Amino acid sequence: MSGICRTRLAEERKQWRKDHPFGFYAKPAKASDGSMNLMEWEVGIPGKAKTAWEGGLFKLVMNFPEDYPSKPPKCKFTPPLFHPNVYPSGTVCLSILDEEKSWKPAITIKQILLGIQDLLDNPNVNDPAQSDAYTMFKNDKTAYERRIKQQARENIPK
Amino acid sequence: MGSDYEYSDDDGEYYDDEEMFDGTQDEDDSGDDVDMDNFGDDFKVAAKGKRKSYEVEYESLSQQAVEKLMQRDVDHICGIFGVDIKKLRGSKADTANLLLRYMGWNKERLIEKYMDNATSVLVAAGVTASEPVSPPAAPVRTHSIPAPNSSTPRRATTRGSKLLSLASGSKSAKSPPSTPNPLQRQLSKKADEAFVCQICFNDAPDLQTLSLSCEHAFCTECWTDYIVSKIRDESEHSIRCMAEGCALVAPDHFIRDVLIPEPGAPVGDPAKEELNSKTWSRLQELFARHFVGCNSSLKYCPYPSCTNTVSCPSAASKSSLTTIVPTVSCGARGIGGSAQDVSQSQHFSLGLQGKEHKFCFGCDIEGDHRPVICGVAKMWLRKCRDDSETANWIKSNTKECSACQSTIEKNGGCNHMTCKKCKHEFCWVCMGPWSEHGTAWYSCNRFDEKTGVDARDAQSKSRASLERYLHYYNRWANHEQSAKLSLDLYAKTEKKMEEMQITSALTWIEVQFMKKAVEEVDKCRMTLKWTYAMAYYLAKGNEKELFEDNQRDLEKAVEDLSELLESPIEADQIPTLRQQVTNKTVYVQKRNEIVLEDTANGFLEDRWRWNVSVPGFDDPEDA
Repeated sequence: MSGICRTRLAEERKQWRKDHPFGFYAKPAKASDGSMNLMEWEVGIPGKAKTAWEGGLFKLVMNFPEDYPSKPPKCKFTPPLFHPNVYPSGTVCLSILDEEKSWKPAITIKQILLGIQDLLDNPNVNDPAQSDAYTMFKNDKTAYERRIKQQARENIPK
Repeated sequence: MGSDYEYSDDDGEYYDDEEMFDGTQDEDDSGDDVDMDNFGDDFKVAAKGKRKSYEVEYESLSQQAVEKLMQRDVDHICGIFGVDIKKLRGSKADTANLLLRYMGWNKERLIEKYMDNATSVLVAAGVTASEPVSPPAAPVRTHSIPAPNSSTPRRATTRGSKLLSLASGSKSAKSPPSTPNPLQRQLSKKADEAFVCQICFNDAPDLQTLSLSCEHAFCTECWTDYIVSKIRDESEHSIRCMAEGCALVAPDHFIRDVLIPEPGAPVGDPAKEELNSKTWSRLQELFARHFVGCNSSLKYCPYPSCTNTVSCPSAASKSSLTTIVPTVSCGARGIGGSAQDVSQSQHFSLGLQGKEHKFCFGCDIEGDHRPVICGVAKMWLRKCRDDSETANWIKSNTKECSACQSTIEKNGGCNHMTCKKCKHEFCWVCMGPWSEHGTAWYSCNRFDEKTGVDARDAQSKSRASLERYLHYYNRWANHEQSAKLSLDLYAKTEKKMEEMQITSALTWIEVQFMKKAVEEVDKCRMTLKWTYAMAYYLAKGNEKELFEDNQRDLEKAVEDLSELLESPIEADQIPTLRQQVTNKTVYVQKRNEIVLEDTANGFLEDRWRWNVSVPGFDDPEDA
């Protein structure tokens, strides 16, 4: 699908500008010379209201491979997030982002971001990606909650 | 010995019969067996001679033959579910294929589950959508299981209709299912609605679209790219609809229609079409591999780019591997199966290029590990990987303290050693106590000091197990090394054969004795190699002594023949040499057979006893 990667991303951008969920942002990164790089997007995902994540806006970089949308983009929190399903590198572990699991070419950027937002407050304990957050989530829910709230406060958008 | 073996073979067959009658769905099974024998002859690649006790009965199947087996299962299922699945879109065979693949080709389980709750099986296998097709919902989270496990109780009426379909099914099973229902290749007729492919956002008015029965339409080009990437990059044979969350699996004819253009269709980019047809054949291979992987009596040839399969029912169960070594060969030779490679392998007729694809059906060890059984061979390889280097290093760099037997490495300083553990002081050179060195009666320079000898004795005792291991390991490794050098020997021998034709009146056919001898030496070295692994684990006793006698006879014969092959050729000596080599080759062959046969019989008679605990055998008595 080498040919359609950029067309699709351009269309995704168009669709996003037309309509996107409240509190989110997503835009292609700017290269050093000021030109737009469609293959890398900078996005922000807000924590859901009435959860410990409320108030925070979490920054994430999406890297699209050349064979997108046959293959999913790689999504990485920058800086890495304290969350059971986020690797120490910041990469998100989610079935819809895995081509051998639930990734489908028809999944849009909007759906990915909503999926990640949903994951924030609904971690999947069967698939831990970092030990710190996972152990705390398993053993001490109150401390975990406190830590998440703290993280949300640190990520309040200016 | 022979009669003993014959008896056990009969025993096995008798057991098979019994098992067949005990089987839960007897009539289908027995029918299968007859079928298998009938067309089994069509694709038998390996010639079947009189079987020796160290050989197993097996059959080599080409990919087409495996596909025939798959087709038989598909027909069977079509016959049973016939009426029921005809209602669904797409061909019966496609549906049966999807169901069987989902159930890992376990027909009994499929029938059971299907009778229990047809809808849930169809949904789980990706044949039908779970509910009236719904627009994509919220993204699925990690590992959520899409298949709903609805347990609607079946009504008695439906069960009745199923029985009817079973009766009518046997008729339809005979008719070849090669008349697929044409797939829904639909031009987007609703041109006025301006279809836009949701993947590439192409909105050309003449865009060709395709959809599975879920009606999620995407353009043909996106489908092609997706299918090609799934098959080629991910080696995935189950290709689901591209829509988010949709679990429908594309049936075979859908994929074929996408990849293979209909005759008469406008000719596209030839490079792309070649890639697509390659992808289609790759998919057939993936299907066959999946089927083989699901069947414990089948194994795919592990040689690179070989697509043959070996069927060896006698080695299908784990327990059978304690009595037999299922060395099989897929029937192909050389690397790569295409025609041009054949001519190449003829060119290197003596070299490794033409070697047959021999492998063990029971384990992953490369090549032939007869006569030793898989479990012991694996145990030995693991030990060698873990221990051989360490053992060699310990042997050459350390000594044991003569008082407490701690292993000590001397990494500098003088010969006056003080053991860190027991504070014993001794001389590194003679191993005698240092007290004798520090006095006037210093005598390290003199041989046969009483205490020194005693100390060395104690040390050698503690080293016995290490030495024992290294004894077997070194011989094992030596034969492996020689076998590796066999390529050189092949080349050298070929040169000699040419030389011989020039210097003597012998023809090419007549000098083949050299080639035969080299092949035999190579084969015997493999046997010898593994006899050392076997001997290492064999418990002391008469049986082991007999085993080692056979091993010694074979080894001596092989070394003699090896030496003859390496000796220089003198023109006037050629007839004698030929006589000698031929004689020795026959002798070596006999010795090898004796080792293999006796060991194999030993396993069948449960005669071997081990000095360690081996899974499937009684624990050693002294342990």
